Amino acid sequence: MVSKARKPLDLSNLVVWATLGAFFTLVLLPTFYLISYVFLRWNEVRVEVFENPIIGDENWRQILKVLFFSFRLSLSAVAFDLIFGVPLAYILARKSFPGRTLLEDIVTLPLVIPTSGFGFSTLITWTTVAGIGGFLGLNSGLISLNALIPIINVPFILFVVHVALTFPYVVRTLETKFQSIDVTFELASRTLGASSLTTFRNILLPLAIPGVLSGAVLAFARSLGETGATLIVSGVSTTASIAIVRWASEFKLATASFMGSLLVMIAWAIILPVEVYVGQRGRSLKVPYRMPRALHDRLIKFERFASKRLSRIKDVVPLAVVLTTVVIPIIVVLNSVIRYWSADPYTGKVQGGVLYQLFGPSNYFNSLLRATLTSIIVALASTYISMCLAVPLAFIIERRWYGRIIRTILKVPMIIPTSSLGLSVLLLWGPGGFNLAHPGIWLIILTHIVFSVPVIVESIIAAYEGSGLQMYEDSARTLGATPYNAIETVSLPLLKGGVLTGFILSFTRSLGETGATFIVMGRDVTIPALVVNMVEALAISAALFTSTYLIVLSLILLALIRLLTRRR
Amino acid sequence: MPEVRLVNVTKRYGKIVANDHINLTIKDGEYVSVIGPSGCGKTTLIKSIAGIIKPDEGEIYIDGRLVNDLPIEERGVGYVFQNIALFPHMTVWDNIVYGPKVRCLPPEETRALALEMLEMIKLSARSDAYPSELSGGTQQKTAVARALISRARLLLLDEPLGALDVKVRAELRYELRRLVKDLKLTALHVTHDQEEAMSISDRVVVMKKGRIVEAGTPINLYVRPKNIFTANFVGEANFLRGVVTQVNKDRSIVEIRGGSKLVTKNTDGGVGDPVVIAFRPEFASIVRKKRLNRLSGKIVDVLYSGSIVRLKVELANGDRVVVKKALSFERPTFNVGDKVTVNIPPKDILVYPYPEEGLDRALALE
Repeated sequence: MVSKARKPLDLSNLVVWATLGAFFTLVLLPTFYLISYVFLRWNEVRVEVFENPIIGDENWRQILKVLFFSFRLSLSAVAFDLIFGVPLAYILARKSFPGRTLLEDIVTLPLVIPTSGFGFSTLITWTTVAGIGGFLGLNSGLISLNALIPIINVPFILFVVHVALTFPYVVRTLETKFQSIDVTFELASRTLGASSLTTFRNILLPLAIPGVLSGAVLAFARSLGETGATLIVSGVSTTASIAIVRWASEFKLATASFMGSLLVMIAWAIILPVEVYVGQRGRSLKVPYRMPRALHDRLIKFERFASKRLSRIKDVVPLAVVLTTVVIPIIVVLNSVIRYWSADPYTGKVQGGVLYQLFGPSNYFNSLLRATLTSIIVALASTYISMCLAVPLAFIIERRWYGRIIRTILKVPMIIPTSSLGLSVLLLWGPGGFNLAHPGIWLIILTHIVFSVPVIVESIIAAYEGSGLQMYEDSARTLGATPYNAIETVSLPLLKGGVLTGFILSFTRSLGETGATFIVMGRDVTIPALVVNMVEALAISAALFTSTYLIVLSLILLALIRLLTRRR
Repeated sequence: MPEVRLVNVTKRYGKIVANDHINLTIKDGEYVSVIGPSGCGKTTLIKSIAGIIKPDEGEIYIDGRLVNDLPIEERGVGYVFQNIALFPHMTVWDNIVYGPKVRCLPPEETRALALEMLEMIKLSARSDAYPSELSGGTQQKTAVARALISRARLLLLDEPLGALDVKVRAELRYELRRLVKDLKLTALHVTHDQEEAMSISDRVVVMKKGRIVEAGTPINLYVRPKNIFTANFVGEANFLRGVVTQVNKDRSIVEIRGGSKLVTKNTDGGVGDPVVIAFRPEFASIVRKKRLNRLSGKIVDVLYSGSIVRLKVELANGDRVVVKKALSFERPTFNVGDKVTVNIPPKDILVYPYPEEGLDRALALE
């Protein structure tokens, strides 16, 4: 952070105003438009949602039902993430063992793979004979699509997918947090006589509370907004974000936008307090624990016992979670695509084979090529435009007093459910609003810019902080460089890693995005949306192939991220 | 009876040997310091005793009990860290009672102990403060109290004063020693500050590249270092290369490069052996008169540092030596270019056989 007393001369006012203007138009406006839309057309909303002449307040009851279901799903997924993610994050942060980086990559994988492809892999693995069921010698899938988990009443498959997709948020956030906590606090506790589990409860966890919270919030937001995989595995259940997609496609715009703005506001209400709390440096839990002495002593004894005898469990169980939720689905899909290559291995029908579905009458290969082209153009264009906005924006955030406010606002597009976002963009720029573009590739690009900007800004800031950039720039200035020169010759090269990482992350995110894209894409189908269409058309083999294609694509991207982040 | 005994303790990190067959016994009630350049393995050594690092080979005994397989929390040692490591989310009081609490001591006893500790470090008034509200010195005192509250008899100090200001550091080190002696503790103190080690220890251990080079009382290490590395690392020394030309009963003569002869106390080696002689700058003097052991040269540099003036003298053979003198205005001043004679009393000359690996490598810190 630069001192506020000195007026920074490095950004001309023109640049600042142009950047802020673009930021407002391209990012802020689409993010919050939905809420104002609901207010402006309240009468319409009231009639459709609460006082429908035919069905009364049925729509409102639907909204409540769907919201309640979504919350149950997201909360239980986050709870699961925390229980198993905390030990895994601890292992990744503190232990060194062969394969650590590989494990890290596997955990991160669901962030990179387009979720519809991943959802399909999970679907195949659990509910069809090609997956675990067939492997165990059954004639059906291990679990039926709509089988519920008792107590939380959430379909098993939906739960598994949401855990896999949110797990990385908890694990990676906490891993970074644990790494930033000096290991000597733990050692001190141990030398004072505390077992490793007692140390964890008393020292590490309270210090890592900000990390736990922000990881949980990210995971929760992600689960609440997840659309791609959910569309594929939801069966008869409806989550909030797919309800928006469905209602938008049924032109129940008022209901959809009311629901969307509810989601945005709920996301805000949960995230803002946490952001403010976590944003204060050096936060930790300062609650002096007072528990009954007998309980306290028994707990300590148990922890001592568990630290010695049960430590294997904490190593093995999280690994098993990662294995079953991430690795097995990918293996199953790769395996199935081979088995289904020329024909359905169970019925022997050629029509069930990958080749027939790709090149036969339905000619999915052609659709796939077109979708690839669309996806890549969208990803490149939205990432490029976002980049032009994100670089100056990152500098403004670091060097102006209102930077922190902008940064907090920037969290919103990252966490609001993307289907709300898509709806918002459609209503704002689409035919009903400014009529800038019809549903299609341009509208997709406009939508993707909204969440790409924060992604890139965050990675530039991550590279910025702790780089001592201000010092290098100052020294360039003392050597005679003009402010602009100093940024060009010193700062930007030093930030290269962050900018490139941001590029890749944004590109990946754009490539995999489904929820918003579904609403604004019109006839320009992207690859993840194509997977959903294939599954709905029951073109299983084609979906298998496309999922494999997506997985391979994201593995390449992941390797690229590794390469770029390692060099720093 | 906290006596610590290390037998052949060895720890490797890949190719680097951090501790190479360390044998060391710390007697009950002794205050021992370990010094050495960074990377010499001193921190590995103290961490092995605490159980933070597990040695690859060798045995560690505390009170005659083999502790190799004992986890950190069951060794019962007090450990003070360089970065203090007071738990930032707990008050001074909660920090101090942490040990008894996780050891499930009765609350009344814990309370009494904590009050006693706070009294000892004179911090009773601030027991509700968080560590970040205290000065560095006070924080470290709190950390010491925290380490000692559970009646640990062995105190391991891992560069305890390294994070503090120079003044505070100098004050606190005597307080540490007093505390250790008052409570009849055994202490092992790791530091890279040799002055700190020399001023408070009963015994100082010098380490280099994972091995113990030498151990002895501070005064012996300074005046009569057995090893040429110690002579260089502890304090300051001049080194001159030469050859033994004469060995008598109590005196030997070494001819240094350039032909000047120096009378030394005695040498182990025989006539013709290549040797290195060493002497402390403050034991040499600048003389005008002809006397024994004089080396002529001219002053090339004069440096004042507080109460001392350091003269750099280039000898006739081109070697340079440093002579330290107490600053005084009555004596004649020294100027660059003055022709002077350096005199070294025979008893203050240390003679070492010329090291096999060469002089530079023998003295190297890395």
